[in-house]
Amino acid sequence: MANIFPKWANFVPIQIIVALVFILVAITSIVTYYFTPKYTRAGYQPTQPVAFSHKLHAGQLGMDCRFCHNHVDESGHANIPASSTCMSCHSIIKTDSPALAPIRESFETGEPVPWVKVHLVPDYVYFNHSIHVNRGISCVECHGRVDDMEVVHHDKSLSMSFCLDCHNHPEEKIRPLDKVYDLAWKAESKEAQMEMGTDLVHDWNVNPPISCSGCHR
Amino acid sequence: MKFTNSDNKTNKTEMSGQRYWKSLDDLSESPAFKDWLHREFPQGASELNGVNRRQFMKVMAASFGLAGLGLTGCRRPEALILPYAKQPEMVIPGVASYYSTSMPSGSENIPLIVETQETRPTKIEGNPSYKPYGGATDIFAQASVLDLYDPDRAKYSKRNGKKLSKSAVKDVLYGVHSELEKSKGKGVAILSEETSSPTRQRLAADLLKKYPEITWAEYEPAGSRNPEIAAKKVFGKDLRPYYRFKNASRIVSFDSDFLKNEAGDLGWIQGFSKGRSIKSGKDAHKMNRLYMVEAQMSITGGMADHRLRLASAHILPFMRLFAAEVLNQAGVMSSLANQLKSLGGKLDVDQKWIIECVKDLLANKGKSLVVVGSQHDIEAQILAITINEVIQSNGRTVDYLSIPENKAKSITELAKSLNSNEVETLIIMGGNPVYNAPGDLDWTSAQKKAGRVIRWAYSEDETSETSDFFLASTHYLESWSDGRTFDGTYVPVQPMIRPLFEGFSAIEVLNGMLGKDTIDAYSEVRSTFDSLTNAYDKDKAFNRFLAEGLLERSGFDLVDVSIDESVVSNIFKSSSKKTPVVDSNSLEALLVPSLQLADGRYNNNGWLMECPDPITKLTWDNAILISPRLAHELEEKFNVSIFGPETRMNDLDANLIDGASKFGLKPYEAEFDRGREMAPVATLEIDGRKIEGYLHVQPGLANYTVVTPLGFGRKKTGRIGEDAGFDAYPLMNSENRLFTTGIKIEVSEKRYKLANTQEHWSMEGRAIIRESNTDEYAKHPDFVDHMGMESHSPPIYGADQDMSLAEKATKTPRGMSSYEFPDHEGVHQWGMSIDLNTCTGCNACVIACQSENNIPIVGKFEVARGREMHWIRMDRYYSSDDSGSNVNGIPEDVQVSFQPMACAQCETAPCEQVCPVNATVHDDEGLNVMAYNRCVGTRYCANNCPYKVRRFNFYDWNKRAIDNYNEGPLGEDLTGDLPSMQRNPDVTVRMRGVMEKCTYCLQRIQESKIHHKNKNGSTGDVKVPDGTIKTACQQVCAADAIVFGDISDPESEVSKMKELDRDYSVLGYLNIRPRTTYLAKIRNPNKNMPNYYKQPYGRQDYDNRYGHGDHGDDHGKGHKDHAHH
Repeated sequence: MANIFPKWANFVPIQIIVALVFILVAITSIVTYYFTPKYTRAGYQPTQPVAFSHKLHAGQLGMDCRFCHNHVDESGHANIPASSTCMSCHSIIKTDSPALAPIRESFETGEPVPWVKVHLVPDYVYFNHSIHVNRGISCVECHGRVDDMEVVHHDKSLSMSFCLDCHNHPEEKIRPLDKVYDLAWKAESKEAQMEMGTDLVHDWNVNPPISCSGCHR
Repeated sequence: MKFTNSDNKTNKTEMSGQRYWKSLDDLSESPAFKDWLHREFPQGASELNGVNRRQFMKVMAASFGLAGLGLTGCRRPEALILPYAKQPEMVIPGVASYYSTSMPSGSENIPLIVETQETRPTKIEGNPSYKPYGGATDIFAQASVLDLYDPDRAKYSKRNGKKLSKSAVKDVLYGVHSELEKSKGKGVAILSEETSSPTRQRLAADLLKKYPEITWAEYEPAGSRNPEIAAKKVFGKDLRPYYRFKNASRIVSFDSDFLKNEAGDLGWIQGFSKGRSIKSGKDAHKMNRLYMVEAQMSITGGMADHRLRLASAHILPFMRLFAAEVLNQAGVMSSLANQLKSLGGKLDVDQKWIIECVKDLLANKGKSLVVVGSQHDIEAQILAITINEVIQSNGRTVDYLSIPENKAKSITELAKSLNSNEVETLIIMGGNPVYNAPGDLDWTSAQKKAGRVIRWAYSEDETSETSDFFLASTHYLESWSDGRTFDGTYVPVQPMIRPLFEGFSAIEVLNGMLGKDTIDAYSEVRSTFDSLTNAYDKDKAFNRFLAEGLLERSGFDLVDVSIDESVVSNIFKSSSKKTPVVDSNSLEALLVPSLQLADGRYNNNGWLMECPDPITKLTWDNAILISPRLAHELEEKFNVSIFGPETRMNDLDANLIDGASKFGLKPYEAEFDRGREMAPVATLEIDGRKIEGYLHVQPGLANYTVVTPLGFGRKKTGRIGEDAGFDAYPLMNSENRLFTTGIKIEVSEKRYKLANTQEHWSMEGRAIIRESNTDEYAKHPDFVDHMGMESHSPPIYGADQDMSLAEKATKTPRGMSSYEFPDHEGVHQWGMSIDLNTCTGCNACVIACQSENNIPIVGKFEVARGREMHWIRMDRYYSSDDSGSNVNGIPEDVQVSFQPMACAQCETAPCEQVCPVNATVHDDEGLNVMAYNRCVGTRYCANNCPYKVRRFNFYDWNKRAIDNYNEGPLGEDLTGDLPSMQRNPDVTVRMRGVMEKCTYCLQRIQESKIHHKNKNGSTGDVKVPDGTIKTACQQVCAADAIVFGDISDPESEVSKMKELDRDYSVLGYLNIRPRTTYLAKIRNPNKNMPNYYKQPYGRQDYDNRYGHGDHGDDHGKGHKDHAHH
């Protein structure tokens, strides 16, 4: 009886296995890179209805974050300022600037300015701004150097592992309370940060939740 | 077949003692019920109906194929943030604001604190500043926030079906005003709902003063002013009896459901439960004792220590005998005693019951109290007043408050004027007389005789159908008003939100009729307030009033009263001797406001509709409740099966045992014969007025009383109320409203499907609820340790059993288990204690939880499949005594025990061990948490949960309209944005396919922890003080039965509760170490009473089954002194 399978068929199983390994590796790396917030979110830089420059306001003019985001230390949401907040200065400065037309219109009509949401955590995450800023975690840790951005972009991945990295090692990020809104501040060295951080974590009894109930309810 | 027989036999012996039983099927041990028990879940709860897996795959193949194509474009979906244009003051996005207000409910307002999220009211809580209620509310107040967002509420006013603008409505009101000016009120009649609002009363008085010819009538179908009318007859003043249950150690209730259906009930629960909460065996005899004489099986009857079943029509004769006995034994007013005795008539009751009960009352003079249901007539009320005087209750357990006079006419008088064509313009403010007027008035045709009918109401209903003008009302959360609590304390009704639609408040309508230029309600309330306060700075006083939610010391004045024998004696001179006949040929119908919908005003509220009646466990329907004896007689008379289609079930079972394939059964039939109750349809008739309803056998009823809950069977209402239940109002007569004798019944062959949650989650009669008597508890304060399987097994904590509660919670010692358990290292260790001795089973926790945690309703069809979503459920167990009378094996006298059951947050949770995706895991503070986003919906956890408290989202309950679930996205969605406005933004709205359960109100825990840390920034104080966090169920509880807190702190209230000797774990022997534990129930029977019981029936059952076992005493803590037990 003639051979049904030619001789090269002996290698087919190995070839299939090798191919499968390659495919699996490829799929895994594609998923881990392209399907995670690092790729899907970070770098997102939408165009806003008003070309508001954080670099100018927070950087050059040195305005405090809380001038506009004034509920950040008392609410879960760091609020987006109302048009009335903008108008508190811009009713005096640059009153006729065409760039500010949407703000003036909103202030007059009462219709909100449609700002585009940049930073996003999923709906099932109950992130709370106030607890972070009141316990020595600066804005910069999640939002990056906003005071250096002409147009704000999504800087960090804000994925679950990003959160947990810090929740597991708060001493690496924690800072004195008076430096929380100073985005440019940095400890002198990594060692200095670790030393200070360990002390603060101990003194303030910082114990960030790492179980599900901390962020999901 | 041999196997079958022996199997049956063992089952029989094992289960033949008395024991807790949850339903008639359960007790009758129908094989089908057993099959049902062994299936873990009610049939259909976990099945895809009518479609098998292969078909399903075929149909879905196309969708599966397309599933991969939709991924593009989801990388960075654009979302907008819309901030305020002008930042309002005091609003912080993401932080809730709380405002005081109060909810009008008939003769009283319930003081409230309302949580608003960015100005949307989302959750109602009681105002703790009002001490008599202590922050408690009832199910109606809890659910009222849902009414605000009811898509079926009236959105604008109408004339003959056409929209009326707001200014057109003002013109209509001005038209009424001009008519009044012309006629001085002649030909104008106003029928109003009862109100406690001083502003409304003042405006009504203004109307009557200006136009004295107006006919002003008030009507509340289920409310009654009889106690006040009686007090006026006896004392000659306008008085309201106000009870101090806290001071009463002996209470006799004559047909008064004072824990649920009487005005002021929240305060009564508070006082009653204070008298029932005991800390140790030494206190046992300080507990109060409740004697109950009633026709229905009320939740108050469930709390009774001695209960006598008696038709409502026989309550008055019974009270005469009782009062005569009191007077005789006390040796006062002997002529009145003789007069009453001769009136008493013949009653089939044990004289000894009366004699001993009276002895007990008199032995506790000054600490006793007698109450009678307000539905009973003046004579009964006067007897109660007299007895209270003799047993020296006045000023101690009952006070009389001086109330303003009410001159309103009754609906009967108004109907008379209508029928004699005296009314040209009829204005109906609130209420719903076409639906709920007494049947013998024939209100519908009387109303047609009015020239024109103007109707002001919250939603379009039966009455507005037949009215010419319909004026839309605002919700109480949208408008200014005021009111008084039951003791007269002045409380505000302040708006939380601008009116969502074009409605008017009652004050605005009255102002319009008075012809005022501005009809604004705020200034009216302000001027009422100004007249009530004597503060110098009225603005400041008003702001303080709003901040506190009440005006201090504004209650009605206490009045000292004493009774004059001749006055009472005169009243009884003309009373009739006749004792009405109540037997199988002439039944008594007792109409009770249903426990979910009251008199029908909450009919279109989904939360209330789906809340199971605490006693019958029916949802979405009412039923004609009949006693087992009557059921038996009806079965014979009409040759129908009422107790359940037993033969068919047996056939099914025989098939199973014979080895017939399960798939050979007709699943449809099997499924629709149980948990969904196939109730026989019956007709009740009196004087030619007929109603058709569905029979439900209810133990504990007076033999020949049929109970028909009100509030169902509305003909025009919203989507929820439509087709739910039957209307019992036609049986109501205008004289003796709520009960009526001479009813005839007919039972038909037809069956109606009821959705009953009763048989779901049975616990097979183990030591789930532990009970004892005061005597035994005083002797053996540790009796709970000698009950349950754990008292027969080695201690689960092994050598570590003497560790403190806090240590046990944090170290989770291995004990006798084969597994090591991880420690709990969190700052707090949450735990809960529930006192079964004070819980009345009122269901308020169920609705509070629903409102706080975004729990959806699922509709009747899905409830019937066991898919209701309540995170906390109220389990109701009956227990009975073998010596008592029974019919068909169903006892007539039962004891009722309630147990609120929610996720117990087991430290070694069985659900966690079976989750394949770690969606349910433990956190460091001892909570069993659900990560919804991880859940893939295997439902293994629900299978492994011993308490059966996990709930599965079989469909998108939150997104789709009821009864459209299975059509998915193709079906009808929930209507508009309204329903989602009520949602709590701090709790995830769960989607299809995930499991959910009680979280101990995790959002409140996190909120408080964050708030505490924010406040204490860098001090290192991270421990939330005890009492800061109250779970929704704890907050609402009028009986203070639920305590929540940190058990790692030995000083916390919950730790102290758990240290009490009555503390036990349900199913503790499973070594699941629940964080929710219960305090055993104690009953307080009187040794000399004829129906004295040595042990509560439930306990007798337990002792019969387990108590007399013969075992060595070398294992387990419980066994050391088991021998003398």
